[in-house]
Amino acid sequence: MRKKELRFLVTFHTTAGAMAMEKICKSSRIPGRLIPVPREISAGCGIAWSAPPDAREVIDKIIETQQLEVDGTYELVI
Amino acid sequence: MLKGKCNLVVFGILAGIVAVILAVMGNPGNMAICVACFVRDIAGAAYLHTAPVVQYMRPEIIGIVVGAFIISLITKEHRSTAGSSPMIRFVLGFVTMIGALMFLGCPLRMIIRMSAGDVNAYIALIGFAGGIATGAFFLKKGFSLGRAYDSKPADGVVLPVILVILFLLSITTTLFAASTEGPGSMHAPILVSLIGGIVFGIAAQRSRMCFAGGIRDTILMKDATLLIPIGVLFVVMLIYNIVGGNFHFSMAGQPIAHTEVLWNILGMYIVGLAACLAGGCPLRQLILAGSGSADSAISVVGMLLGAGFAHNFKLASSADGSTPAGRIAVVASIVILFIIALVNIRRNKA
Repeated sequence: MRKKELRFLVTFHTTAGAMAMEKICKSSRIPGRLIPVPREISAGCGIAWSAPPDAREVIDKIIETQQLEVDGTYELVI
Repeated sequence: MLKGKCNLVVFGILAGIVAVILAVMGNPGNMAICVACFVRDIAGAAYLHTAPVVQYMRPEIIGIVVGAFIISLITKEHRSTAGSSPMIRFVLGFVTMIGALMFLGCPLRMIIRMSAGDVNAYIALIGFAGGIATGAFFLKKGFSLGRAYDSKPADGVVLPVILVILFLLSITTTLFAASTEGPGSMHAPILVSLIGGIVFGIAAQRSRMCFAGGIRDTILMKDATLLIPIGVLFVVMLIYNIVGGNFHFSMAGQPIAHTEVLWNILGMYIVGLAACLAGGCPLRQLILAGSGSADSAISVVGMLLGAGFAHNFKLASSADGSTPAGRIAVVASIVILFIIALVNIRRNKA
């Protein structure tokens, strides 16, 4: 079984926001991937961006400069 | 993570047991609990259509919304939200019913029909998955109906309250139509249906059960987590059907089903595409509406009126097959969905 680890998670108001995040991160070679929003965060059918915690700073900057309709950011062991 | 997956299995078993009980207690063949069929029956009961064989104020639908409402209040997940293109969501709900009534079932009934060996449902699954794949393509291109915002707390309570009032009226008055023959006349005892619906609603809310979401996540993220409760539900119903002697692997002779390959595929293609664009299958729309989403509630109203429209204008199929008007409406619905998808693609600055 995969070992649990601390991840930096970003949730979005819209799926389009999550898709845009994936696009930006991939083109900028920022690590991470899309995952279903963990049950403990929200009941929504949503998608979250999951990244290593040390990518937080650069992702926060992306969120600030791009309009990605971010719902929230979390640090969670998943 | 493992605990989470165990929960999904438990909720899947719970939902499966509810479906088995409802099937045993009198709901129509291979229709233990079908969101589209039962919304259509409610539309008939409320005289939104007058097809005599499909009129009954189904307590299951009321139970599902109320179950989701109660559990979301308990877990503090209830949030009144609105404002994500409500009229487009109305149309998505409306055309979903055109597609579902072409096939004769929502994704939930598709799984139930598959568990009874109905080959037409396996064929329809191709269309359903194709619809979701199309929707996922548009999502990747930037499709969005915009975000929802917090609304007045009362806004998210309206649909559950209306449904409870309808239920109370249905058991205390003769206001609503009730079929004396056909699928609408076959039903489990009212209390069993209501409690079954509530338990199903709770299980679906906790597990985030979504027939479209499971396939969408598999396509977009290679993550099949949401398919777990659906797979379990399928297995529970499969065991029930095999043990009870209801499993017949065939196309012809299945209860409340027809064998038109193309139209079964296209009907469920609509349901898959509309569900992907709306962010949830018909069951999920009921659950989200119960959890406070007025946008999903509007989608449910769209389904209700779509069902009425489908029967009034003879778009709905029957065991004899599809109708000419139904086939035209299905093609028109696909065109409408593509227009909705294309005009709502946003160009991101990135």
